Parts: sequence; structure tokens; C-alpha cells
Amino acid sequence: MRLRRALPGYLMLLPFAVLFVGFLVWPLANSLYFAFTNYNGVKAPSFVGFDNFQRLWFEDERFRKAIVNSFVYVAAAVTLTTGLALALAVAFRGTSWRDRIMRTLFFLPAVTSTIAVALIWRWIFSGEDFGLANTVVGWFGAEPVQWLATPHWTIPILVLMAVWGGCGYGMVIFVAGLNAIPEEHYESARLDGANSWQQFWYITLPQLKPVTTYVVITSLISAFQIFEAVYIVFRAVSTVGGVQDSGLMLVPYLYDMGFTKFQLGYASAIAWSLFIIIFIVSMIQLRVTRALREL
Amino acid sequence: MRRNLWPTIARLPLYLFGLTMLVPFYWMVTAAFKPVPELTKNPPSFVPTDPTLDAFYEPGYDPDQRGEQIVSGLFQRFTDVPGGFGRFMFNSLVVATSITVLSLLLASLAAYALTKMDLPGKRFIFVVIVASMMVPWQVSLIPNYLIVRNLGWLNSYEGYIIPALAKAFVVFFLVQYMRSIPDDLVHAARVDGAGEWRIWWRVVMPLMRPALAAMAIFVVLNEWNNFLWPLIIVQSDDMANLPVALSRLNASNAFNPQHMAVIMAASLLTSLPTVIVFLFFQKHFTRGIALSGIKG
Repeated sequence: MRLRRALPGYLMLLPFAVLFVGFLVWPLANSLYFAFTNYNGVKAPSFVGFDNFQRLWFEDERFRKAIVNSFVYVAAAVTLTTGLALALAVAFRGTSWRDRIMRTLFFLPAVTSTIAVALIWRWIFSGEDFGLANTVVGWFGAEPVQWLATPHWTIPILVLMAVWGGCGYGMVIFVAGLNAIPEEHYESARLDGANSWQQFWYITLPQLKPVTTYVVITSLISAFQIFEAVYIVFRAVSTVGGVQDSGLMLVPYLYDMGFTKFQLGYASAIAWSLFIIIFIVSMIQLRVTRALREL
Repeated sequence: MRRNLWPTIARLPLYLFGLTMLVPFYWMVTAAFKPVPELTKNPPSFVPTDPTLDAFYEPGYDPDQRGEQIVSGLFQRFTDVPGGFGRFMFNSLVVATSITVLSLLLASLAAYALTKMDLPGKRFIFVVIVASMMVPWQVSLIPNYLIVRNLGWLNSYEGYIIPALAKAFVVFFLVQYMRSIPDDLVHAARVDGAGEWRIWWRVVMPLMRPALAAMAIFVVLNEWNNFLWPLIIVQSDDMANLPVALSRLNASNAFNPQHMAVIMAASLLTSLPTVIVFLFFQKHFTRGIALSGIKG
């Protein structure tokens, strides 16, 4: 009887469930299997145990480079983006037209096509003397720089792109968090003679902790998944990761192994490594926040 | 007076920073309207002295005359694709709208069944859906490519649309929102003899409007900007969406700065639709993001 009444419910669930299993659950299971095989997409996969992970984590120089690049990039991009987003939210949280215009301005990159944005940066950092970046350094008397062909500039440029593109999103979340803090907290603090810096330090920051955790974790996750910026801005004739792999990160490496070299088993091992890294880093972040809250 | 002045002064660097936010956009727009010789002038002109539409369409362009200085406008390129650049705009539009409409329909149906109906096993199903959100989508990229290849969907709208419909996050979000709709409304409709499909469409869906708007914005933005998936499933020229077309334009022309006007023109046309929609529906965007914390 209960099942009979439930029948339309299952029918409603069915279309989504079929697609969910067919294009998500089943592929994930497959991907996990591929990670333990040698597979090139043509011949049937052959089981190799932990060989892919062994090679990836302990022997592969390019993977090590991708990991180091990712961590440096993620640390810099997430810290700067979050800090700036918080500053912007505190400065432009109001409802005046000036604040609203500023918020619109900072949010604009979040709705602009990622590829278009990457192409703009490529144009700005063009190595010729008429490129915008070179014109600006020229004002300070510096010689033109081959921005995109100099390995040590790769990550700073990617970080700049991430901060420019991401601070508006964090700002919007922080504004929502700020507006949720009851005004009475500030009133009683003012009565006790707290200045605005003390109010920020002892009321705003602690109250914003859950929001901050949220912004940091979502930024971490999306920063680890960077692909378009590397692929478009540092596109050279044959490589995916920029000059001397200076911009090689996890997803570009996954793309390179999977779709230009067709080592699908190995690329699946990279994909699961991405999952493991994101998972561990978010767990650590959650733990740290919890520990800080108990202090 | 002193009290009111300080916050403004403290904010001054942030106002300046706000202006620099616009610089990349400005640099794109000016480049799209500069004639080729002005584009490679040193020092660059900050206001186009002789604005032109040549980067979009060059009336005097002669395909037989391929000199150093002669490059065609955007809509005259991609001669092997019927419709040229317009075709890519069409592809992007078709894909983004159909994915948005279909995925929201499917997800809201699933969310209705999971929240408002008494289904044995629904807790387990919901837990699986939430758990799947923890895995980055790139993990399923390779198997999905093989599945789509085996189905013969490479280079087709099916390949774009059908795998993109299983959006666990949308179901999760709609379930959260639907829980705030009182069950009594649904019960009352049932007592009146309305079927479940009717209740879903007539009673629950109208109340879901804010949530649906937030998700529609999220899905449209993501699909309009989607790059990695189209990059691997599109091999022929005519099935590219705008991001893939931009990337190809870049790959074949970027080493010659003379083509930068066309590339910037294409970037402008690709970003304009989402920016305009954003400026019109700004409130929905920010509210949706604050509501769901989604990454646009």
C-alpha cells in the first residue's frame, strides 16, 4: 500500500536518477577502476594495482611540479582573495548608491566569461613593448618583460588573475555575513567605549568565522581546480603547463595526460589525487577553524 | 566633520582599486575598436584615435589579397563553418538554455519526491546525492568522455546537454529550499484530490520561484562559460561553443599581435550577454549567491 502510493514519487525521481547514475555514479566507479589499470582508450584496461599511484606520487617529476605549483598558487590566491574580499565587504556593505556601484564593479569579473578574461590578460601581459603591462613598467623606467615566457612570473600572474576574478564573489558572501550580525552587539560595545578597530576585532571577526571558513573552503576547492587560465594564457605551441611547466597544475596535467597523451589510467589516478588533496585540505581547514573556535 | 571624513579617506585606496578592476575590461573594449596599425603602436593609445568596426566586419576585405596588414573581421573568419562566428553564438545559446530548463525541471521533480513524498529509501538516495558533491567533477571526466564517445555523441548537442543534466548541487539546493514550504499546503491539495504531478507544478513550483531563479542564474553562467567539457567532446569546427571558438581563435592567431583586435572583439561578444543579464538582474545574482553560496 505504501509502495503503491509512492509509485508516482519514484516516477518523478526516475529521470534525474537515471542521469545521475549514468553520468555521475557510474563514471565515478569507472574512474576509480581506471586509476588501477593501464588504459589507453582503445585496448581493454589491464589491472596494474597501485602502480599508477606509485609512479605518480614517488617518481613523476611533472606531478611533483604540479603539486608544488598548486600549493603555492592556492595559498597565495586564497589568502589574498579572502583578505581583500573581507576588506571590500567592510568598506562597501552599505545601501548607498556609491557602495552599490562599487559592489557591482567588483562582482563584474565573476559573471564574465572565463576564457574571455584569460584572453584579456594574455593581451595585457603581451611581451611586446606596446603591451599594457610593459607600458606600465616602462613608466617606472623598467625594460619590457617577457611576462608569459619567464617562468618565475607565471604564478604571480595567475594569482593576480585569481584575486581580480574572485574577490567580488567573496565580498558578496561577506556582505551577507556582515548584515546578519545583530546591531545590538555594536551598540553595547560602543557604550563600553570600544573604538571601531576594537569593534571589528572583537565582534565582527569572531561573528564572521563560519562565513570566513565557508569562503576559504570554496575558494580552496575552486583554486585547486584551476584549468582555463593556465590553458589559455600560457598556451604555447605544444605544452599545456606554460614555459618549463611553470604553470603546470593538477587539472592541466590531468588534461595533458588524458587527452593529449591518452594515458587514461594514469590520468584517472591524477583525478583521484585531486580529490584526495581537496578532501584533506578542506578537512584540515575545518579542524583548524573548530580548534580556533574552542580557544 | 572629522568623524565623517576618516572612513572616506580610508576607503580611498579601495576606490582606486575599484577603478583598476575596470582596466582589463577597458583594455579589451579599446583593442576591439582599434585599427591594426594603432594596435601595435608604442606607446599604446589609451583612447582609440580612429575607432573602427573592422575587427567585427571589414567591408573592404578581399580574401585573395593576403598581405601582412590585411586581416579579416571576426564575422568573416571561420569560412568553413556555415554562419561563421554567429554559429558559435547560436550553439552557446541553445546549449545553455536547454540545459538550464531541463536540469531545473528534472531537479525540482526529484526534490519534490524527496521532500514532500513518503518514499521508502529516500534518505539513502539523498545521502548519495550529497556525497557525490564532494568529488570534483573532473574525476568523472574521462569515463564520461568514453561513454559519450561510445554513444556516438561527440560533436553533438546531445553530448553537450544530456551528461550536464545530472546536477546534484541543484537537487541539494532545491531540497533545502523546499523544506521551508509548509507540508500542510501539499496535504491540503492532496485532500482536495490533486495528483502529485499537479501539486508539484501548481502548488510547489510557484513557491519555489526565488530558488529556481538563483539556480537558473547559476546554471546559465556555468554553461555559458563551460570550457573543459566542450573542449574534449568537440572536434569539428561547427559544434564549438563560444569559449572553445575563442580558444581556437587564440591558438591559431595569438602569435601575431595584429589578430588581437579580432580576439578582443570575440571576447567582448562572449562576455557581453552575461554582463548585461547581470546588470539587469543584479539583485537576483547577489541574493542567489548569498542564499546558496554558489561559485558563479
